[in-house]
Formats: sequence, structure tokens, C-alpha cells
Amino acid sequence: MRVPLSWLSEFIELKKSPEEIAEILTLSGHEVEEIFDLYKRLGEIVTVKILEVYSPEDLKEVVLCKVTDGRDTFTVLTSAKDQVKPGLCVALAKPGSYTFSHQKVEVKEVKNYRSEGMFLSPFEAGISEEKHALLTFPKDVPLGRSIYEILNLEEPVLEIAITPNRGDLLSLYGVARELNLITGWELKTFTFDKALLEGEPFSGEIKILEEEGCFRYLGRIFRGVKVSESPFFIIKRLFLCGLRPINNIVDITNYVLLEVGQPLHAFDWKKISGKQILIRRAKPGEKLLMLDGVERIFTEKDLVIADAEKALVLAGIMGGEESGVKENTEEVFLEAAWFNPKWIRLSSQRHRLSTESSYRFERKVDPEGIPLAALRATELILKIATPTGFSQLVDLYPRPYKRPLIKITPKKFAKILGFEIQKDFIIETLKKLGDLQIENETFKLIPFSYRQDLEIPEDLVEEVARLYGYDQIPDTFPIAELKAKAPTLEIKTERKIKELLKGFGLFEVITYSFIHPEILEKLNLSKEDERLKVLEIENPIASHLSVMRTTLIPSLLEVAKFNATREVEDLAIFEIGKVFFPEKELAKEKVHLGILLKGEKKLLPWEGYKRKYDLFDLKGILEELFSALKLEVEFRPFSTEPFLKRGFSYDLYLSGIKIGLAGAIKNFILERLDLKRPVFIAEVNLSEIYNLLKEKKKPLKIHKPPKFPSTFRDISFLLDKEIPFSEILSYVNSLEIPYFEKLELLALYEGPPIPETKKSITLRFWFRSEERTLQDEEVNTLQDEIAKKIFEYFKAIPR
Amino acid sequence: MKPEELEALKERALKELSSAKNLADLEALRVKYLGKKGEITQALKSLKDLPLEEKKTVGAKLNELKEILEEFYKEKKNSLLLEEEDREEGIDLTLPGRKPERGALHPLTQTIEEICEIFTRLGFEVVTGPEVESDHYNFTALNIPEWHPARDMQATFYLKNGALLRTHTSPMQIRAMLERTPPLRIIAPGKVYRCDADVRHSPMFHQVEGLMIDDKTSFSDLKGILSFFAREIFGEKTKVRFRPSYFPFTEPSVEMDISCVICDGKGCRVCSQTGWLEILGAGMVHPEVLKAVNYDISKWQGFAFGLGVERIAMIKFGIDDIRLFFDNHLNFLESFK
Repeated sequence: MRVPLSWLSEFIELKKSPEEIAEILTLSGHEVEEIFDLYKRLGEIVTVKILEVYSPEDLKEVVLCKVTDGRDTFTVLTSAKDQVKPGLCVALAKPGSYTFSHQKVEVKEVKNYRSEGMFLSPFEAGISEEKHALLTFPKDVPLGRSIYEILNLEEPVLEIAITPNRGDLLSLYGVARELNLITGWELKTFTFDKALLEGEPFSGEIKILEEEGCFRYLGRIFRGVKVSESPFFIIKRLFLCGLRPINNIVDITNYVLLEVGQPLHAFDWKKISGKQILIRRAKPGEKLLMLDGVERIFTEKDLVIADAEKALVLAGIMGGEESGVKENTEEVFLEAAWFNPKWIRLSSQRHRLSTESSYRFERKVDPEGIPLAALRATELILKIATPTGFSQLVDLYPRPYKRPLIKITPKKFAKILGFEIQKDFIIETLKKLGDLQIENETFKLIPFSYRQDLEIPEDLVEEVARLYGYDQIPDTFPIAELKAKAPTLEIKTERKIKELLKGFGLFEVITYSFIHPEILEKLNLSKEDERLKVLEIENPIASHLSVMRTTLIPSLLEVAKFNATREVEDLAIFEIGKVFFPEKELAKEKVHLGILLKGEKKLLPWEGYKRKYDLFDLKGILEELFSALKLEVEFRPFSTEPFLKRGFSYDLYLSGIKIGLAGAIKNFILERLDLKRPVFIAEVNLSEIYNLLKEKKKPLKIHKPPKFPSTFRDISFLLDKEIPFSEILSYVNSLEIPYFEKLELLALYEGPPIPETKKSITLRFWFRSEERTLQDEEVNTLQDEIAKKIFEYFKAIPR
Repeated sequence: MKPEELEALKERALKELSSAKNLADLEALRVKYLGKKGEITQALKSLKDLPLEEKKTVGAKLNELKEILEEFYKEKKNSLLLEEEDREEGIDLTLPGRKPERGALHPLTQTIEEICEIFTRLGFEVVTGPEVESDHYNFTALNIPEWHPARDMQATFYLKNGALLRTHTSPMQIRAMLERTPPLRIIAPGKVYRCDADVRHSPMFHQVEGLMIDDKTSFSDLKGILSFFAREIFGEKTKVRFRPSYFPFTEPSVEMDISCVICDGKGCRVCSQTGWLEILGAGMVHPEVLKAVNYDISKWQGFAFGLGVERIAMIKFGIDDIRLFFDNHLNFLESFK
């Protein structure tokens, strides 16, 4: 909320600088987000001297002036042709600045004449009501200086973030009252002429038909009002607070709203059918063309102010176009009410319509402050719109506000704060918050009606503590049970995976949980694929972020794309994040790991050794990862995933359950996404792994230093290309070779001079006995036997 | 061989060995004296022609001389090796090393880990929970009913199935309390979502929630723990201040500022000239929240806090645009190796 200090000072004597006041408010819980000078904020408005005045023949209403700011010269078109003359010093609003009534000043061209700014009247400069004369300066005024500096004018404004519980601070008077509470600076209260309470008999009827929605309703009629422009002090203050003036009556309602925080509404009484004001629920489908030019359709949940025929106002939120006060209005009905904050809030939400009025009603207005607002508005209307008469103030208050009684003991203060604030300070503070009674050791407080945020003892603890000063309360360490649980298996495993992948040279990325639905389509998924059954966001921030992801692949591809368009073609990245599937309530959330390898593997460039990533880089990473996690994951060749190249992909299985995929993305998909080949992707369902990890884990096998040496024999042979390595491996394992320790794949070669259908393989067999050193002869015999069996079984040709 | 001849041989050999200029010369000398056909070896061989008595005395002397020369040779060789290595030009030592591959964790992960580590030391248990939440856990149970204006503070993403994306990690307070019995200390990191996007706001960001409940933990304790946290993460000299604030689920409520790390509290653009940076919101758990999980409010009390991970990471690493975290450009990620 904007608080102009010049206005605030009408209610409280400000004994400190704007900066100090901001600090006081901030440290009391009302964060001052900004202190600005409204004049300075308008932009460059400077003193200039007119050098020459031309009256081009093709321009009728305006003249062209050449001016100087002491350094440069500009040309300005002005309609004040009778006033401008060479030598005159005036105020120039330069392009990019704003006039006080918030017109943006821009460079304009009229028939090839360039106008680089605008001469301001005192009104447009925000200085006085004078609109028709230009603001002028003595001949010797320094040129090119801010006019406000020259005139020594300031309008400091505090922008305060009022928390939602403190509706009572949404006004100048409210802020003054709070400053009084914090600092003790003297508060100036309102006093009114008693005559304002009286008036002619009310010539209509007001009925509250819905007491749940309207707790209090005050009304008064003014006869013979003159609707016109408001006096300058009102206009200026509305602008200072960011509101636009309309006419004197509407401006007064807004002025009082800003001043005391009570929203008011003014009706054209002659437009009110049957001279009846009815506060009722809207009829289903009831329509109203409102002041913002939008016709809205109401439901029974909306509260309206109606006349005998129709709805006139969406109560507490916004009035109708028809019944509003206009230039020709002669009789005004003024409303000051207290509506149910919940009703206003829900209506405002339903219609997506938040106004100065609804904002305050939602945050609770002071039920006992309503007459004050009505009287203040009456006072101003009498002074400004000179009515010929006014009615008595009708006050319907069927259910008077009952202030709560809050009981609290000094012990409670100490227990919550962990610190004893002097009893005297507590008592003094509570007295400023309401009516205090002290019985035995118990404080009984009935808070003032504007402090509806005070409901429970804890609220009073906060009030006392904040006024005492949070920084005056000592810092302590809690005394607590010395116990702590270890992180869960999920958390520990996730950390371990991240550290491992980092060690493998991968970079972690974090991407949005929402994705573009189209990118899923681009993955070539079949219609039944569960990854297409996405959770949709009702109000996405953008269409490309409109569904919850069911796989990490689109996100990783997006990162690849973002990098590729910014000169990074080589990537090795991973992400651990959630994917989401629909469920009856909430969602089924699973933690996934995604890995992407793209482009070239980083090696030492000066060694001239560079190569593209291939499938075995990805497989190796996964193998090492699973090995570190003590998981025996099976890599089943030929993934069924529709976006992976069949011959370069695996489905990953653990204990017979599919836990992931790995492979090369199909080229046509990369084309669609405009990504360079190759791109390797893996996705692993970690939630599933966590479940299985809880059940079983491969036990560690501990190897002791060997007592006897090992020895090896190599076997080389040619065999059919088609035979996978895994078959050789499982055949060797099935042979039950004595003293066999391990097998290494030493060499693998395809190409000339090997026949096209063949590949050449060299296997190294390691042997060791736990009891003795093996003799060459017996190992030779073993080698011969194994070779013979392999050659026979695979129809291999020895080399 | 006569003793005089032996002595002369010794003198000559030692002189020549000691004057060897390089390893090649030295090797030649070794061959000359100690090699298979060397003078010493030859002399030893010729012993067999001598009478027994002479064989004994000359043999002993020759062997002694052989040992002396071998020893001398070894020392000379070592010193020549040293000299030669010292003279060697070597390789281009300015070439980069052959690095093992090393990636990096995302700066936000690093920040979360650091925060969690601090609180884990204090005995807080790390918990996680769902990102798709119900209105009840995200709002109502936290004392933010449907009509509450505080809902304006958190622009919410709703899903078409009626659920929502949690706007803060505070629902974890409720979930953790329901799953446990007091006393308890938990910390809950995670993703949260708000319908907001600019240089300072991202529609998805991270928070860490903390909650401590027992029968005596007080506002002073809240101040103590959070001040400790600020000094741990931002450095020993960090100053903190506590400002009253408002959250529907805490009472009293507080926001904590740290002295601006950029200007040391003197006032700069980053801290809007105030010298302070807001880093977290906290407060004593509101009785309505304790009631929502059926905790006896006459017995249990404690504090809760929530902090923005991006905010802390931006301050720590001096980053001015939150979007950098989610663009994941490799150059950016590599800065955190």
C-alpha cells in the first residue's frame, strides 16, 4: 500500500525521517518495500528557456518552440500559443517521463514537425489546480534542473507490504494508529460537527434480506449535489496513491477509503427503483453491467445491493454502470457497510475481480468504524459538492459485532517466548490493544474492534513480543532429546547415485516437472502407452508447460536442445526427479533417473583423440552404477520402446520387473526435434529399485590376497558375426572348468581380412589354484580342452 | 701381482673412475676394470697360477680392491645419474593434465545438501513427500481456509483432477506430524510450484521446511537455531535480524534477514539499499495447526520455518537471474564443479 507521508502527517506528528519511519515499520512487521518520491518518479521534468517561437502556416492550434536546457536544444509543439514567447522559462516534461495525471510523454510528429516533450501546467506538474496557464519560472532560473528541486518540492511515499491479517492498516489513519502504538507519537483523531449526525427523514427504505452476508449497513441521501471535478488536494492525493479521479462524489468515496480504510459506495438515487435498497443474494443468472464495462452473471452465492427491480452493485466489490454517480446526478445515496469478509472473498475469486473495496472487505473492516467513515464522507460532500440537504443516517446493525475475550497468563508468555518480558511492559502493551482486566494472575483482554486479528493468546504473545522488539529476545539453543534417525534408504541411495554419476563425469540438471504435451507425441508412443495419460494443469503458466511429465526424456531432450542452440553439442547429463501419473486422488509419483549422452566424448584434444559417444558408454555407466548399488540388472537387448533404435537398445530388468530402458534415440525423432545425432538416453525407475533394494541386495564377496600365482591362456578364433558375446560367456560358465578364475574379452575385430560373415575374438582365460602353483602342462591341457569345446560348439575356426 | 703393482692399479682405477665425465665413460671404465675381461677379473683369474700362500694374500687383497672399486663405481654412477637427470630438459610441463572425468551436482542440489547437512547435525530427520497435494494439506490444515486472503500470497497451480501442486513444503509439517508422535525434529526439502515467472520467480522452485515440536521449544530457541543456521551457511560473521511477519500457520511469526553479503550491510542494489537480505520465514507453530493433527496444544509447542533454496543459492553464488538454474546450460553447470 502507498502511504504519502504528507498525508500521513495529518494524523500523526512524524518525528523521524522517511528512512527512519520505514525502518520502524519494517521492524514492527510492516515491511516497507520502497521509499520513493512521487515527483522524482515522474521522470525528467526540467526547466527550459524558450529561444524562438514559430507559427508554421500548416499548423493551426499549436506553435513550435525551440527551447534549451542549457546544454542541448529541443523543439516542442504547444497549444499554449498565447503564453509562449522567447525568453520565457517553462517546465519541460521530456520524452519517457509522465505527467502527474499519468500521461506518458513521448516524441510526437505532427506534419513533419517534431515535438520532443511537453510544457506542463502547474496541474500537470502536480503542483496546483491551475490547468490553463503554463508553469513558468523567473528568467534567471538555472536551466536543465528538475523543476521540483528548483521549487523545493518533495512527495515521499512509502510502499508498505501490509500482511493479510492486518486489514486495519489499509488506510492512512490505520497506519498512523499503528505508528502511535509502536512509537507513542501523538495521534490526531477525527472530530465532527454534531449536526452531521442528524438530517431530514430518510425518504426510502433499506432492508437487509441476507444477514449472513451483511452485518451492518449505513445509508444517507444528499439532495441537490453539484457533481464536478474534485478540488486539487483530493485529486493530488488520489494520484499519489495510484488512483484516478472520476468526479467529486466518487473521488470522495475513494478518498475516505484511503483515509480510514472503509469502502463506500455512491448511487444516483434517482435511478433507484422503488426507493428501495435491498441487500440480498443474487438470483441465479441475474446480470449486471458493471463499472469496468463488463457484464457479469451472478449466482446465489453472490451478494448484491438491489432496488425493487434489479441488482445494482456486486456488494463490496464493484458497482453497476447504470446506478453510478455521473455529471448529471443530483441526488446521491451514500452507502457504508460491513459485509461478510468470506462472502466478498469468494465472490471476488469467482468473478476474478479484485478492487480496492473488495481487498479491504476481505481483510476485515472495522465494524465500529463505519459511522466515522460515513461522517467523514458527509463532511467532505458538504464542503465540496454543496448539497442543498441531506437525510438522517440510517444504520442497520442486526447483529452487532461481539469482540472476543482473550485470557492469558504471564507464564504463557514466558513458555512460548522462552524469555520473561517484564510484567509492566506486558500490561502497558495490552492496554493499548483493547480493554484489559487483570484477575489474579490472568490478563483478560477484549481487543478494540479494528484489531480483529487478535483472537487467541498466541496473538497477544506476538503483539507483546514484536512491540518489545524481536531482537531484544535472546537467542538460545533448545534442550532436546539426543536422538536422530538415519536418512531413509531412498535418500541415501539417491545421494549415492548422484555422487557416482558426478564421478563418471556427468552433470546434474534440474528441469521443470511440467512439459509440453506435444513433445510426448513426438516420441512416437503408441496410443495405449501409459505415459500419454498425463495430469493436466488447469491454469498452466504457458502452453509449453501444461502437463505433468510422465517421463524425464522430454526434459532431457529440451536441455540438449537448449544447449545445442547455444554452441554446446556435446553433453553428458543426468536428472533425478519425479514423474506423475493420474490416480483417484492426488497423483502417483515415481522417482526416475534419466541420463543423456550426446555428441563427442570429452578427451584430451591435444592428444588428437576424440570420438563420438556410443551405446557402450551409456551401458558402461549403467553397469558401474548398478554394480555400485549391488544390483544385478539384466540388459535385455532390443528394447520395445518406440523411440529407441531396436538394434541399439535395451530394456532393463531387475528381479523380472522392468525398471528402465537405455539406447539410441531413433533418427527420425531427432530430426523432428532438430537435434544432431547421436543421442543416447536411459531412464530408470528408482522407486522400483528402492522397493527391490529393501528386499534383497547382492552380498559382498570378499577377496583375500592370493597365496599362489595365477596364469592365463589366450584362445583366438573366428566365429559367426550373429553370435552374441553373452552366449559365449554363458557357455564358458556352463563348462565348469577346473581352476577357472575369470574370463576377459581381449580383442574383438570385424572387417578385412576376416570374411564378412565372421568376427574374430580373442579370449583370455585366467586360472588359479588355492592350494598350489599350477604346472604349465596342466594349464596347457585345460586350454586345449576349452578351445576344442568352443570350436565345436560355435563352429568356430581357430586362428 | 706384487703389492706395489696392486697399489698402483688401485690408484689408477680410482683416479680414472673419479674423473669419468658421463655414464658412458663410467661404463667403459667398469668394463675395463670390473668387466668379465677387466683387469681385476683377469688378475683374479691369474691367481690360480700362484703358490698357495701368495694366492691367499694377493687374493684377499684383490677381492678387497674389487669391493672398493665396485662401491666407488656405484657411488660414482649415482652421482652421475643425478647430475644427468638434473641436466635433462624434460617435457612441456605447462601442458594440461590427463584428467579423470568429473561432472558436477546442480547448484541447487549442492545448496539443499548443505542446508540438510547443517540441520542433520542438529538431529533433524530428513523427510520427503508428494508434490501433488490436496487443498487440505496445502492450505486448510495449515489454517488457510478457502476464503482466507493469505491464499493470495501463493498463486496456485491446480490440476484438472482437483488436486494442486504444492505451493510450499509446509504440507510436510502436517504429514510428518501425522506419521510421528512428538517430540520430533524434521527437515523436508523439495520442489514447490507457483504460478509466477520472471527474473526472480520461477514456476517451479525449491524449499526446505523445518519443524521442531516438543514440550518446551520456544521462540528464543527458534532464534538461536536459525541464527546458527545463517552463520553456518553464510559464514561466521553474518549478522541476522528478525522481523515480525505473518503466516497463517505460525504465531508469533517472523522473517529472518541476513546482512547483505554483497555490500556487507552498507547498502547496495542487491539489498535495495537496506543492507539486509530476507532469507526465510518462520514462527511458532499455530495452535490450529497442532489441532489439525490432534496434538494436545496444552502440552506440545515448537517452531517451523521454510526457506527458499534458490534465494539462498543466488545469494551464495552471486546469481541474479533465477532462470539460469533451470536452463541447465553446460557452461553454467560447469561453474559448480
